Amino acid sequence: MRKVSLWFFVAGLVCALGFAVPANAQQEAKQFPVVTKTLKNGMKVLVQSDHSIPNVALYIFYRIGSRNEHPGTTGLSHFFEHMMFNGAKKYGPGELDKVMEANGGENNAYTTQNTTVYQDWFPRSALPLIFDIEADRIQYLQFDPKKIASEREVVASERRLRTDNDNGGLLDEQLWATAFIAHPYQWPVVGWMSDIEHWTMEDLKHHFEMGYSPNNATMVVVGDVTSDEIFQLCEKYIEPIPTHAPPPPVTTVEPDQLGERRLVVHKPAELPLLEIAYHVPQTNNPDFYALNILQTVLVHGESSRMYQRLVDKDQIALNVDMDAGPAFDPTLVIVNAQPKQGVDPAACEKAIYEELDKAKTGLISDLELEKAKNIRLVQFYQQMRTISGRANTIGTYEVFFGDYNRLFDAAKNYSAVTKEDVQRVARKYFGANNRTVATLIPENEEKAKQ
Amino acid sequence: MRILKNIAKILCVASLALVLAAASYAQTLKLPPHEKVVLKNGLTLLLMEKHGVPIVSFHAIVKAGSAADPADQAGLAGIAAGLLRKGTQKRTAQQFASDLDFIGGSFDAGSDVDYTTISAEFLTKDLDRGLDLFGDAVLHPSFPQAEVDKLLAQSIDGVKAAKDQADAVIFNYYEGYLYGTHPYGRPGGDELSLKKIQRDAILKFYQAYYVPSNTILAVAGEFNSAELKKKLEDAFGAWPAKAAPAVNIPATTAVKGKRLLLVDKPDATQTYFVIGNVGVTANDPDRVAIRVVNTAFGGTFASLLNTALRIDSGYTYGANSFFQNQKAAGPFAIYSFTKNETTVPAIDLALKVLDDFHKNGLTATQLDTAKKYIKGQFPPRMETSGQLAARIAVSEFYGLDDNEINLLESRIDAVTLESAKQAIEKHFPKENLVFVLIGKALEIGPAVKKYAEKQDERKISDPGFWPPPAK
Repeated sequence: MRKVSLWFFVAGLVCALGFAVPANAQQEAKQFPVVTKTLKNGMKVLVQSDHSIPNVALYIFYRIGSRNEHPGTTGLSHFFEHMMFNGAKKYGPGELDKVMEANGGENNAYTTQNTTVYQDWFPRSALPLIFDIEADRIQYLQFDPKKIASEREVVASERRLRTDNDNGGLLDEQLWATAFIAHPYQWPVVGWMSDIEHWTMEDLKHHFEMGYSPNNATMVVVGDVTSDEIFQLCEKYIEPIPTHAPPPPVTTVEPDQLGERRLVVHKPAELPLLEIAYHVPQTNNPDFYALNILQTVLVHGESSRMYQRLVDKDQIALNVDMDAGPAFDPTLVIVNAQPKQGVDPAACEKAIYEELDKAKTGLISDLELEKAKNIRLVQFYQQMRTISGRANTIGTYEVFFGDYNRLFDAAKNYSAVTKEDVQRVARKYFGANNRTVATLIPENEEKAKQ
Repeated sequence: MRILKNIAKILCVASLALVLAAASYAQTLKLPPHEKVVLKNGLTLLLMEKHGVPIVSFHAIVKAGSAADPADQAGLAGIAAGLLRKGTQKRTAQQFASDLDFIGGSFDAGSDVDYTTISAEFLTKDLDRGLDLFGDAVLHPSFPQAEVDKLLAQSIDGVKAAKDQADAVIFNYYEGYLYGTHPYGRPGGDELSLKKIQRDAILKFYQAYYVPSNTILAVAGEFNSAELKKKLEDAFGAWPAKAAPAVNIPATTAVKGKRLLLVDKPDATQTYFVIGNVGVTANDPDRVAIRVVNTAFGGTFASLLNTALRIDSGYTYGANSFFQNQKAAGPFAIYSFTKNETTVPAIDLALKVLDDFHKNGLTATQLDTAKKYIKGQFPPRMETSGQLAARIAVSEFYGLDDNEINLLESRIDAVTLESAKQAIEKHFPKENLVFVLIGKALEIGPAVKKYAEKQDERKISDPGFWPPPAK
């Protein structure tokens, strides 16, 4: 993300998907009515009116992310996200933010392995301005060599912040690089440092042409607007933008993992870290719902199985979590734990496997299943309670499931999950041959042992 | 997170009492109607019905935070809050977790410097069960010894884990170095102070401060006020009245001269730095002007600081500044980070931006932008029941009234170039500066000596933040 970064934080987005479960699909669809239109140039626009505050959240999802990169240009999507704020034709370098702030607006963006998402938050009085800005930068981005050189440094600083000087970020990067040997999910969204230093102007221009076509984007507008006025603004500002070819399909398929992979990072640290990753299908796979129920039972809240075991009973970890972000291609679900000081990560690993084994050999209880469904209902309302949360959720469903209506069907789909389904996915995906185990070992502890 | 939290807190200057019926102003910002009730035992209830999303948000403030910790047991207030859900007269910690999670509820408790916060959210349909849980934790915690031991051990390791990330702890060092032995100098405690905390002290802290007259409970969301009032009276009316000891927070004074603390993190490839001094109180008469000028200085992406350190030079991913307004004057800070090699140029530039700010003040355009930005971004900060409950509770605590919101727009509009200039002169430090750096001392140590006549150094692996433990 450009300012409050998200690129590393794929996990955060799981909430946008995993937890959306209205009690009654029809009722919720009515409560949050969405009006859609596909523009002549192929961009789909989704509008949800809400007049409770005089503000608007406008999100544009581009279907381009680090999966569309290759060795040598890793991190380009994220770098490009930064460049989108650095000047176009009408709004030159530095002007976009100044103009937006002067009109009471602010913005941000985030990049993932799959998408690049631009976010504008503003009072409704700024509506035409925002469309003018978005149309300007989609069409006429500047490629000023000086600006590119300076932004490289900014991105390198962001990488140092979130990866090189953050043990969790560092270990996570190594984990993805080990779990994938063929598919582009193996490289970091922010890019390898040497690639950040070496992209060329041609790489950038090619990336812009590839990803930033209206037919490769989805716009979501939520807030103090009517769908009519948004469609009129789209007609004026967005519809005339010509289309070009979208990114070529990513055809590389990650081969099945045939045995456990392990990696260790040694560095100065106070505490060790542990991550265990399993390959799971892409978001629009039918197992999505059962996997989410399993995840909730295992790690959501202090009553969850893994919290109870590792943090409360055995007291070997400070926390334990499990996440899978939305993905177009088969991805990873990652269990991570922060072992306590002096605890061998192997002890946490063993406890995690034992809890996974229980989910494979036995059925979860009726109470656990009901709890998981209740939690999802609450989280649906939590993300739908703000205009920005709604824009992100509606857009994420539209992009990753291909239809925002899946948001309102989620209740039905979760209700259909049985205890046997949860057991089936536990058995199917959480096997030893399908896992990659990453540990960070504090150097000082090792020295002390010697 | 820390920065975001601070900013959120600065912006959180709301209020209560009666909503003004002053329709003559063309105001768009108004607090929704809400009601204040003081129970016989002294508990202050604030109720705000807000329909649209079937959620009820609780936000209680107990008027004792980390500044009420005994000097050698920093972290006590936070530990007491953390234990509220870890066993009550009728539930074990595990039962509490099971009951809470079953309805998808949330429950958080922790200490700020001036007060303790206990917040929770439930679906409206689960209000009775949620209220039972919330009341149980606030009124009947039993502080089981095993849970005390567990939480203390986790918190001590939590401090160590945080030290693996410079940006997670830099403000702990900064507040320690800025305030020294003042209670504001030890927010949250450290590995050493937490070790000294015993169950007895926790119990005493709870018994002394968690009393109705020392507590504000705000509830906002989808409910019927008359019904909820009755339910709250049933739940909290029997809480025995008792006087709480006053928390003595001495006035804070700005540091004179320049001093610098370098925290050595040998594996750092980037230096994290904070520059600042003591700022202002929550009810400082200049608070709106300060907010406007700080927005222009370091409160937004296009602010002077971020423009210089990020947009124009590429030194950093981000640079910002904030005032954390507290009961006694809270900190002002400039915060950024840059690779080891550009540590000195980046700090020089931050100081130049500050210096130029004193010399040049704001242009009319910059002032206008800051005003429009604050006004334009304000409605989303009062969007959810959770935000509103927190806002009215914090306002009540600081004794700010509803005009804090209802007149905010006209107060912002009233800030002139002249009053902005005065606010800069009076409230932004110039000659007297406190620096805290976390970075690789071997590479940056010699060069940063030039910033201050008084210097100190610690290793990040040394227990505690600042001051170092007595030998």
